Amino acid sequence: MPPSLTDRRRLGLGLVAAAVVAPGFAHAARSPQAEAFIATEGQKVLAMLGDRGLGEAARQARLTQSLDALADFQRISSFVLGRHARTLSPPQRQRFNAAFRSHVQRVFLRQLTAYRGSLLRVTGSTARSPTDVVVNTTVRGSSGDEAVNWRVLGAAGGFKVADVQARGVWLAITLQQDFVSTIDNAGGDVEALIRRLEAGKG
Amino acid sequence: MTDEMTQGRRRKRRQQGPARGRAMLRLLVLAVAATPMMAVAADGGPTVRDPFEPINRALFKLNNRGIDRFLVRPVARVYRKVTPAPVRRGLSNAVNNLREPGTAVNAILQARPAVAAKATGRFLVNSTVGLGGLIDVAGHHSLEREPADFGQTLGRWGVGQGPYLYLPVVGPTTVRDGVGGLVGYAVDPVSQATGGPNTDFAVGRSVVRGLEARSEADSLLTSVMTDSTDPYATVRGAYAQNRAAAVAAARGEVEALPDFGDEPQGDPN
Repeated sequence: MPPSLTDRRRLGLGLVAAAVVAPGFAHAARSPQAEAFIATEGQKVLAMLGDRGLGEAARQARLTQSLDALADFQRISSFVLGRHARTLSPPQRQRFNAAFRSHVQRVFLRQLTAYRGSLLRVTGSTARSPTDVVVNTTVRGSSGDEAVNWRVLGAAGGFKVADVQARGVWLAITLQQDFVSTIDNAGGDVEALIRRLEAGKG
Repeated sequence: MTDEMTQGRRRKRRQQGPARGRAMLRLLVLAVAATPMMAVAADGGPTVRDPFEPINRALFKLNNRGIDRFLVRPVARVYRKVTPAPVRRGLSNAVNNLREPGTAVNAILQARPAVAAKATGRFLVNSTVGLGGLIDVAGHHSLEREPADFGQTLGRWGVGQGPYLYLPVVGPTTVRDGVGGLVGYAVDPVSQATGGPNTDFAVGRSVVRGLEARSEADSLLTSVMTDSTDPYATVRGAYAQNRAAAVAAARGEVEALPDFGDEPQGDPN
């Protein structure tokens, strides 16, 4: 027996409802451990930046400590070189890592100053895998709330941040696009990038 | 004789006009359709096809060393300096509020009724209790802004982004988002309700929106120009990421992120 008009309407409504509602079921599990890690370590960095009693040298030293506790520099420094990561000689790798670390500290100190004294609030997380979590936070500053997301790799007790996203843009991914383009435009010469970073440009 | 030739040429041009327009449109559609969806690049992160890179780089340089440096940035900085922060925030809220009807329409086109309902609720609350949109009352009650645009709508339904373009004053875009922006501007519900996109109100609204956007982005742009080894690539990459995230959100997908690989061994220093 062919389906009645009412059946067809019901089927149509069901399909529309399924199409509308289905994306909502795509939620992955949360990771309370990764959320706690960011709540603690992230807030420490913001509090340190807001500490007006610190001198510039002391602030730089504390930032180095905080970034070491927070970020996975080994992984990030390989990632940002993209396909060129394997072409570095060991001495070049050493020079790049040192220059990259200084670069990140310089950029962080300049950019995070805008967030000094802000409050960080964890709003959720998405466990992409047991060792790969995106933690969502909002940072409340003078100009309102801003969404900041953190890509955390590793397991409880050994979490490290691999990337941070503000205004829809991930920092490490952007650095990779910047660095790879610089190397490509120098004909694949990694030295061009290292020299620019060592000179404090970029 | 000369007149006849001129008239002949004019006739030919008139005949060719629509055909040429159709050919251009076909090329545009082909360019967009031939581009794969935002994908994670071989290195990592969303990328965008940039077949016009030499021209785009020249325009980027022209914009940053000329138009933006000597015109847009100074105007935006003066605007920031002479306008008290609460007034600026009020104007920014009001301009954002007028975008909510457009967001609601796009959210419906994207089959996201919750986002459409939120945009409608925000517009109603902020236009009334929020004194014509000057105060973001809805935002203070956890009804936060979730913008949607027509370029995102096209992406939601599978239209590829097309080639990357860097346009003076406008900045980074793609063929899809550029077309989306023009369509959004032309059929914006608030513009339609206030006499179209060419009224003084619509132009004034666009100017304030542009000033607000440039003023807001000032520190970010300065940091890109100072901190990047290749500012052009940085802007292009950031744009591609931002749009990929918007399209992923419209599809209800978790953002595609690159693999950071296995933990490297050895001392990084």
